[in-house]
Amino acid sequence: MKEMKYDVVVVGAGIAGPIVARNVAKSGFSVLLIDKKPAIGTPKQCAEGISIKVFDKYDIPYDRRFINREIYGAKLYSPSGYELELRYKEASGVILERKVFDKMLAYYAAKAGADVLARTEALDVIKKNGKVVGIKAKHEDEPVEIYADVVVAADGVESTIARKAGINTYAPPHEFDSSYEYEMLIEGFDPDMIHLWFGNEIAPRGYVWVFPKDEDRANVGIGINSDNPKTAKYYLDKWLRENNIPAKKLLEINVGVVPVGGFVKDLVKDNVLVVGDAARQVNPMHGGGMAEAMEAGTIASKWIVKALEEENLELLKNYTTEWWETDGKRLEKVLKVRRVTEKLTDEDLDLFIQILSGADAEKIAGGDYGEVIKALLKHPKVLLSPRRITLLKELL
Amino acid sequence: MPEKIRVIVNEDRCYLCGGCAGVCPTLAIEVHSSGWEFFQDKCISCRICINACPVGALSAEPLEVSE
Repeated sequence: MKEMKYDVVVVGAGIAGPIVARNVAKSGFSVLLIDKKPAIGTPKQCAEGISIKVFDKYDIPYDRRFINREIYGAKLYSPSGYELELRYKEASGVILERKVFDKMLAYYAAKAGADVLARTEALDVIKKNGKVVGIKAKHEDEPVEIYADVVVAADGVESTIARKAGINTYAPPHEFDSSYEYEMLIEGFDPDMIHLWFGNEIAPRGYVWVFPKDEDRANVGIGINSDNPKTAKYYLDKWLRENNIPAKKLLEINVGVVPVGGFVKDLVKDNVLVVGDAARQVNPMHGGGMAEAMEAGTIASKWIVKALEEENLELLKNYTTEWWETDGKRLEKVLKVRRVTEKLTDEDLDLFIQILSGADAEKIAGGDYGEVIKALLKHPKVLLSPRRITLLKELL
Repeated sequence: MPEKIRVIVNEDRCYLCGGCAGVCPTLAIEVHSSGWEFFQDKCISCRICINACPVGALSAEPLEVSE
């Protein structure tokens, strides 16, 4: 049995894992980052859109190798076909090539001093006297025991290592989305914008997206509530058929389950931390979790470094506290909004998008949601509906 | 009492995305890089995994009661 010893072992090289590994390695501690995939980032399980702000905020190079294109806004479509365009003057987001991006994040971790092992699958935790002292893993066909003072579970939605370490990452089935996506050739959509279709028949609880990659290539996907009796694939294929979009030029099929609520209460147990999808740190409205994973990874790595420097692992608990005081608080508010929007009927969606497609689009584009809700509340068709008034007031 | 089931996977449909393992409340499913694994002794027959699969790769068969 091969044995290794590090200060920190990070399980999972998605987004959160490499950020933690990079930051901890920069501080001079020994770090091993492992991933079960033979090629980090492959296959992707993502629509690949992210805000342009994250590059500066999390010290990630704005590298054209993983940026497919810049995006200038979003176009929203209601069930009956009303449209709302939110266009910014400058690029507000980018569409990534996750396969390159994830691998480069692992590369930045390696450059900072971390060791990185692809095709290394974490199988279980190693416990001594009831405490986790490392993980059992398999590198290719070779079993390996990796001992570490700190274990970081960045192992995605499955969160196997987090759960085996005793961190409760359970969330009820309604707090997950099932997602299905084609990367395909598709034409007829403005490639400078992301496109989102809403409707209870189109995508129950979620939406259909077209995230352009080239002029005629896009990620075309769907997210629906995971407790739906029908599959995400069923709804996406139905949408493509109904919109006469041929699904004959499919370059990839991407599948996954997305946590959209049920944030983990205790993110740390003794010397084990959980980050990213494994900790359900995903935006419950749109199901995107890359920025959230970067934020959680940044907070987690800060406390890992402090705990190691001061040789006091009790300090790790501050990750839970700080996350819940900052991003956790924000995401709890977003979750409340999702729960309200879940109650909207197709008629509501038609009406709201119709009303907002007028003068208020600029305010929405500016992110002034309070003003948008107030504008909706002034409309006669809203004023005459006590149910709509109640729903909108819950959003304020 | 819900009917006791065995969860089975259609390997031709499965993408090994790990979603079923992620929603399982009892760690009755593990998705390894090499394949999908089900642990009957942990399964509580809740069928959450079957609904959550984005492609319908999972199904249930009634668990045979030993005589």
